Amino acid sequence: MLLDEIKSVLSFSAFRPDADDANVSWAKRFENRKTLMLNVSRSQTSWRSMTRKGKLDEGGMQDGEFADIAPQRAEEWRSLTDGGWVVVSVNNRFIISLENNLMRGDNCVHLLRTNPRAVLGPKYDRGKRYALCHHPETTASMLLAAEEALVKVTEDVLKTVGLRPGRVCCGLFAMMEYAITSIYDNKQGASPGSFVLVGACEGSVAALAQQDGQWKDLRCRSGLGVEAVETALQIISPLVAKAPPGTPVFFISEGQDQKFRQELMTQLEKVGARDLTQDDLLWKIIGTN
Amino acid sequence: MSAYICHDFKTPRNDTARRLPNSFRIVPVVFYLALIAGAYFVTMDVINIRGAKAEKLKHDQVKAQHESEKTRFAEEKKNLDIESARATEVAKWIEGTRVIQPLCVRVARSVPTEATLGELILERNEQLPDQFILSFKLVNGQPQHVQAVQTNLEQLNYRSYSPQQSKQGDTWDCRTNLVWQDR
Repeated sequence: MLLDEIKSVLSFSAFRPDADDANVSWAKRFENRKTLMLNVSRSQTSWRSMTRKGKLDEGGMQDGEFADIAPQRAEEWRSLTDGGWVVVSVNNRFIISLENNLMRGDNCVHLLRTNPRAVLGPKYDRGKRYALCHHPETTASMLLAAEEALVKVTEDVLKTVGLRPGRVCCGLFAMMEYAITSIYDNKQGASPGSFVLVGACEGSVAALAQQDGQWKDLRCRSGLGVEAVETALQIISPLVAKAPPGTPVFFISEGQDQKFRQELMTQLEKVGARDLTQDDLLWKIIGTN
Repeated sequence: MSAYICHDFKTPRNDTARRLPNSFRIVPVVFYLALIAGAYFVTMDVINIRGAKAEKLKHDQVKAQHESEKTRFAEEKKNLDIESARATEVAKWIEGTRVIQPLCVRVARSVPTEATLGELILERNEQLPDQFILSFKLVNGQPQHVQAVQTNLEQLNYRSYSPQQSKQGDTWDCRTNLVWQDR
């Protein structure tokens, strides 16, 4: 143990951030190391590896329950990562809601992981894991609540196959956060007054409406499945319909099934939606930031 | 790169130690610097040791050469010392010699007109060159004439030692040792 500590000091690894240090971006944590990213949905799991140079590499997809897929793919996954560290994106059994006047601060993110009741107060629900995305200019926040049981089961499955989760996140929520950050970063002086942001990730859908600089409404449904295009449209349509004419609509999506994405985009194009989707966007978001 | 950092709701680990502060990076840096410096000094020492061995060999050869030179010079010095000692002895001997002519003149003047100096021998002592054995024969002389010769020689700082006189007919045969007295 002492020898390991001495080795870690002499190799400078003792000064690098921990592999599961949530305050540091994934790319910085795994400089010059291979990592693996998993996207766990209700009935399928997709994965993608990242090379030591930070380039996306091998990937794959398999239908079925994650607990069944993991033992079959364990050896392949272990070969794709240095040290067995993986990022897991769960796309099932979560809900995103709009909240107001939640605690903000530098320590808030850490506190939300260790003592969420201190941040959420009465909104805290036992058996949930939380994440927050604050409106940059108002007191509104998007609150993600994921099933703790699902997170724990996913972590346990990974541990049994010799992998270590360095981060567990929600792919759809990450994409929404990333899109909001991009929209506000690209506002170029003028605040984006109104917009509708629609996100889809492996059959989970979320739509956020902002009017006059305020987040007005948010609808979300996880684990719909890629075949439920109609249901997804029923969730999105009311928000788009309520938006004043001319309101920009942004669409961001990720998924193995291009048909689901195309059908959604076809409908959204009718209201002039702008597609912010890029290739491998989910992997880039969770594997870089 | 955007400042955005993806959320994370992983179960926190409680077996992790706090990261070492960045200022502690000085420890491995100093360690590696010490290694590099150590390697440098060891290399330099090895090179210097090799150089010193070569120098030592060279100087050993020079020392052996000097030793043989020294032996040769010591031998020469010994010979010169012997020569010098001999020369010193000669010089001392020469230093000790006194001229004979004044003695002969003084003895001749001491003899009165009625007497005749039949024979005069001055023998220098080889070991003590300032001493002489004086022997002379005085024909028709008196004992006071012999005494006058000795008195005159004392004026030249020669003291008569163990004088012997014998008379055979009209001839006084005298013999004495003359010893130089430095006054």
